[in-house]
Amino acid sequence: MRQLFNQLISFPYFFKIAQISFPYLFLLSISVILLGVLWGVFFSPVDVTQGEVYRIIYLHVPAASVAQSIYYTMVIASVTYLIWRIKMASVFMISMAPLGAIFTFLALFTGAVWGQSTWGTWWVWDARLTSTLILLILYLAIISLFSSFDRRASTDQAVSIVVLIGGINLPIIKLSVEWWNTLHQSASITLSGSSIDNEMLIPLLISILGFYLYVTAIGMRRMQVEILKREISHNWVKRIF
Amino acid sequence: MYLSRSSSFLGPIVFFLITITLYPLAFGSDEEQLAELASGIIWISILLANLLSHQFIFNEDYKDGSLDLVLASGKSLFVWASIKIFVNWYFSSLPLIFLSLVTSFMLYLPLDAALILALTLFLGTPILSMFGALAGALTLERGNIVGSSIVIPMCLPALILGILAIQSYKNEEVFFYIFLLAAFLFFSIPILIASCLGAIRLHFE
Repeated sequence: MRQLFNQLISFPYFFKIAQISFPYLFLLSISVILLGVLWGVFFSPVDVTQGEVYRIIYLHVPAASVAQSIYYTMVIASVTYLIWRIKMASVFMISMAPLGAIFTFLALFTGAVWGQSTWGTWWVWDARLTSTLILLILYLAIISLFSSFDRRASTDQAVSIVVLIGGINLPIIKLSVEWWNTLHQSASITLSGSSIDNEMLIPLLISILGFYLYVTAIGMRRMQVEILKREISHNWVKRIF
Repeated sequence: MYLSRSSSFLGPIVFFLITITLYPLAFGSDEEQLAELASGIIWISILLANLLSHQFIFNEDYKDGSLDLVLASGKSLFVWASIKIFVNWYFSSLPLIFLSLVTSFMLYLPLDAALILALTLFLGTPILSMFGALAGALTLERGNIVGSSIVIPMCLPALILGILAIQSYKNEEVFFYIFLLAAFLFFSIPILIASCLGAIRLHFE
């Protein structure tokens, strides 16, 4: 176990693994997303109250879920970096932050389209929407940190400090925003059960799985690029190309 | 140092007054409307005025080398940073709290609400100062917009709790929000100062 971990955090080894597994993972993720979304759009029943438009759920929920999960994994990576100085953790953070921003934006966008037809407005200042918007701002702030230092190690350290503080603060922000205002329907899927009918739930879960696979694949690719940027002068890179 | 350099001392005050003046000019001088907006106006102005001063907290010492001496002397960096942050708060936020009492009358806020406002500011501005210090410490080499974009989203709980407290100044709930704000303050003191130290050290590695 420990040996496997040590191998995974070494740049050359990870690069090799990612190089081999990327095409399969990417194709798998695309096909799972297509399966979930197409099933959801064409074969699952129509929602009684919301009509056909609810089908955007098959993009909205996975995107929102992925957007938050990326942040939490980044928090874990930041702790890992700050304590053990594992360079792979900072590579992970720096590669994932733009992905997180994109998915947060996607979640906000699909949510706006959905809100337009069910609530009648593109945007409401509701707790969840607001905290997602803040998440987006946080991602953008982290991304803007990337270029504000001359030395690699400083950037890594600064990014992980901000990610960590943001991670501690995010639940507080969410809670305070919730006291401030709430209109969004509460989460329909929890660990204890689901208020969604099975016929809609299964394609939704497949779609969520697909999004996670997609993020894993693209994230690995981005990490490879980041590793190449850092290690460009090393021998093992020259041997590959 | 703060008194000798009037720009860092007066800058936030002037900025605060100008911003407060802008709101009635933009929204009209209707008494009820202004009273309703007053708490938000003052909080936002203070939040923005704080952004002006945060890059001064460590920057000066970094540039003239006193920070190197502090690090080399082996004295506690934690104490040093806490003092720097406190002094910054004392000179840039405390005057604004007193000024906010004055401006709240200009914005027709009732007296009770104004006192609650001052109390929430008293609890809230140290949080702003500490986040500002963190941002200032992160961007020591060049003060830029990055700092502000980090500070503002992080400070939101303070802003929200402060304004909720003022809005509910008539009933019991006000204590709930004030206690929460105090809890947020005490929770963030050790974490933020510790991360400030981390941020300072990364410039000397």
